[in-house]
Formats: sequence, structure tokens, C-alpha cells
Amino acid sequence: MLPQRVKKTITDNPKKLANLIDLVNLPSAVREFVGQSQTSRLGCFLRVWSYIKTNNLQDATNKNVVNCDEKLKSILLGRSHVELAELPELIKLHFPKAPK
Amino acid sequence: MGKIPPSFRSAISNPFLRKPSSLVPAETSQLTVTPSGKPHYPPKKPSQLRGKVKEAKDSDPSTTQKALKLFKSPSLSDAKDVFDSFIKSSKTFIDHRSYNSLFDAYASISTVNDSVAFLRHMMKSSPTFSPDRSIYHILLSQSCKTPDSGLASVHQALNLMVSNGVNPDKVTADIAVRSLCSAGRLEHAIELVKELSLKHSVPDTFTFNFLVKHLCKSSSLSTVYNFIDDMRNSFNIKPDLVTYTILIDNVCNTKNLREALRLVSVLREEGFKPDCFVYNTIMKGYCMLSKGSEAIEVYNKMKEEGVEPDLVTYNTLIFGLSKAGRLKEAKKFLGIMADMGHLPDEVTYTSLMNGMCREGNALGALALLEEMEAKGCSPNSCTYNTLLHGLCKSRMLDKAIELYGLMKSGGLKLEAASYATFVRTLCREGRIAEAYEVFDYAIESKSLTDVAAYSTLESTLKWLKKVKEQGYTI
Repeated sequence: MLPQRVKKTITDNPKKLANLIDLVNLPSAVREFVGQSQTSRLGCFLRVWSYIKTNNLQDATNKNVVNCDEKLKSILLGRSHVELAELPELIKLHFPKAPK
Repeated sequence: MGKIPPSFRSAISNPFLRKPSSLVPAETSQLTVTPSGKPHYPPKKPSQLRGKVKEAKDSDPSTTQKALKLFKSPSLSDAKDVFDSFIKSSKTFIDHRSYNSLFDAYASISTVNDSVAFLRHMMKSSPTFSPDRSIYHILLSQSCKTPDSGLASVHQALNLMVSNGVNPDKVTADIAVRSLCSAGRLEHAIELVKELSLKHSVPDTFTFNFLVKHLCKSSSLSTVYNFIDDMRNSFNIKPDLVTYTILIDNVCNTKNLREALRLVSVLREEGFKPDCFVYNTIMKGYCMLSKGSEAIEVYNKMKEEGVEPDLVTYNTLIFGLSKAGRLKEAKKFLGIMADMGHLPDEVTYTSLMNGMCREGNALGALALLEEMEAKGCSPNSCTYNTLLHGLCKSRMLDKAIELYGLMKSGGLKLEAASYATFVRTLCREGRIAEAYEVFDYAIESKSLTDVAAYSTLESTLKWLKKVKEQGYTI
């Protein structure tokens, strides 16, 4: 079952949690969007999601699709339509794994 | 589904609710936890501050409030000025309570050293004032709460007491122990208790049990046993029935039922007779492991021994049987408890709903919700979470969304498990946007931390993608 699995991942891999909440120096594109030079992956996700909500970027007929404006495009691979389901993944692209 | 609802877990890990308001300590501790969001029968006994503490803090509310406003800065000289002008301005006789609340007000903002100096100043400048035990207790409790590497400031307070002819007694020990424990200084509390036992007086059973309870929370079982043996051998403090109940509860929570049964035989050897609380605790231990037959055996044993089962007993039993998938028997006990004059409460109903949902009968559980509301029993957040979980599991998403709407309008919190199941079901049906909305609500209502809520959402979406890629039907 998922909840236990998530919990287990978190307790087993403190690193996984760390890459979610640790502050990271951002690449320039994201820096411009977020308005900060550092943020965590979680913070970035919340920022993007609230940006989508405040600017009503969800498609009116299919709420699962986001119609990106120029600003959002700049950080989401330049795509004009993005599925909500892909969002975490796309944001993760800006947070590459730290070299060991 | 063979898991303990999170609410259950949190209830177990936090059986130390303080109820300083009630002055009469009950005789036994109520440890049995019910499968609801809160421990509905909070432990009554060892966690209480006794009357003396109350007295120390108690005062005419108006005086206290005045006193609180008097001291604006922690500076000692300011405080002395304030005190002197207070003495001058007050024409009536100042009783010891007013002095105490003045001192308490200052102690709440100052350092220990300043408090001691202030107390000396009080004694010097006001001839009518003679410090009593309470005022030293205020000082002591302040010194216990000061972050300190050792017990230096606590000793300072105690020495001041002794040199002024007030010997530390049981109440002193109790206040010190509780203050130290609330500041997270358990090691120091134990050290101090041993020291006080040697020099002044041994702690009473309430202090002792309080310590045992705290020790159980943070230390290994052998440490707890060592402490108990130590106190027995050095100071002749014997564990009583409450101590054993605490220990049994602790080992049951770590699923060590064998040790629990050993403890029961030990307490019998010591000449105690297990009471309702002991039985309830053991029954809870079995129920958490889904051992329904053993739980019923405990119930029968209670009957044999002539111990009257209470509401908690029945709730525990119904919870355990439902959890073990023996709904029929659980319903049988619902009838029995009604015959015995115990009305089923929200915990009882939630347990039954839990059992029905496990059987896949989520609609039946929903009908039970109506039934209980019709009987004037209002559901709690655990009830709703159970139902939400059950409806999602039975793939009745529309009903689940309806229920979620109810929860949202009532401002109820989501539990981690039901949140995850709900999000997963929504995603599976391709209603990602709604899952995001639930995610927002979980954070907004402070049900989960944003990390937990996000991890669930992220891994659900990842899982969804993987399943779709592999072409499985979901």
C-alpha cells in the first residue's frame, strides 16, 4: 500500500527527503520565475502551482491540462500545454541530482 | 488493510494529557485507547498536578493580572522599584497569595539569579512578608525550566529553601520532577529524585508513576526496569497497580504481549488484583495485533474474575473484532453492551464502520453513519476518515467526493491514509485537478505537512505514469 511505502521511503532514505526540502541554487530561468536565487524543490512546486491557480491557467474544459503563458513556458520546456500529472516531474528536471 | 489507523497510533503515543484542573487524583490510570482521533478516556491520574501546586499558583485573579502588568522588564532594579511602590501604595494588609503572585509574575520573565535576589529584597523590605513553601516552589519550578547543563540552579533553589527552614517534601519533589520533565530533562529528574530521596523525602506514587511513564516513552524497557528496581532496593518504593498498568501498556504498544502476560503474573504475585484498566490495556494489545479470539478470552476472563467491563472494554473489543474481520461477533457485542447499559458512542460506530469497509461494504457503513446520526451521536473526524477510506477502496468515488465535501465544509482534518487513498483513487479516474485540490486542502487544513502531502501526490503520479506505460488496466 502506498502510504506505508511513502513513509518507508522517507525513513529509509533521508536523502530523498533532503532533495525535496533542501535549498538549491537555481538555474537562471527558474530564478526569474520564482524571484529568489534559492528554493527547495517543494517550494518551487508550490510556487508554480499557486501561479497556475492565481492566473487561471487550467484549461476550462479539461482541468487536468494547463495552458502555459509565456512566463510558465520558460520553465516548463517551452511547452504550451502541460498535463497536471506531469508537473512534479517537469519541475524535478530543474533539480538535478547532486553529484556524489 | 491490516494496519492501525494513524489516529490510533497518535493516541497511543500521547497518553499523557495533563489535566491540572481536577484536584482529586483518581485511583487508577486509564490507558486504554480507543480507535478514534483522540484518546476519549484520557489518563486521569499520574499526570495531574496536585492541589499544592494549584495553591502555589492560585490567587485572586485580579491580583495576578495586576501583578502581570506591573513587571514590564526583567531588570532587577526595576522590579525592586515596582515592589517598593506596590508596598507603599497598598493600604490594606497584603496576604501571602498576593506576594506569591507578585513573585510569580516576576519569575515568569526573569532569570533564576534575579528571582533569588528579588525574593531576598522582598524579605528585607517588607516586614510582614515571610516566605512560605509555595513561593519556594515557584522559584524551584522556574529553576527547573531554565536550560542548564547540570542541576546547579535547581540546587540553588533547594538550598535557599533549606537554609530558610523549609524542608523539601513530596510536593517539592513532584513539582521539580514535572517541571524538569516538561523541559525535557528526564535524566536530571531521575538524578534529583534519587538525591531528594536520600536527603529529604521519598517521592510518592504519583511522582514515581509519572517518572515511569516518561521513562517508558523515551527509554528501553531494561532502563525502566532498572529504575524501578533501583527505587525499590534503595528507597523501598514499590510499584503499584498503576505502575504495572503503565508498564503493560508500554509493552503492548511494542507488541510484546508475552512480556505483558509476564507482568500480569508478576502483579498477581505482588498481591494485586488486575482491574478493569489492566484488562482493557491487554485487550487493546491483542486488538492491535488483530487477535480477536485472544481479546474475547480476556473479556471472558474479566467476567470470570468479576471485573465489570466498561464502555472502553466494549469499544476496544468491537474495534478489535472489526479489525480482525469478525464483524458478526462485533455486532453481537454491540447488543451485549446495550444490555449492560452502555450506549454506543462515536468510537463504537467508527469501529463498526471500519469493519464494514474492510468487508467491502462501504454502503453499509454509510447507512450506519445515518443511523448513528439519527440516534443523536455525532461523528468525529475519524469517522469521516474511515468512511472516506472505505468508499475509495470500494471505488465509489462519487460518494467519496460527496463525503469529502462534507468534511471540507466542516473543516475536518484528513488522515494520512485516507488522504493517500483518496488522492490515488482520484488520479486513477483521471481527475488529477481534483487530486491537486485535495492536496491544497490537506495543507491548508494543516492535516499533513506539505512534505508529506507532496510526497504522496508525487509518488502517486509517478505510479500512475508507470502503470499507464506498462499498459495495465487500472
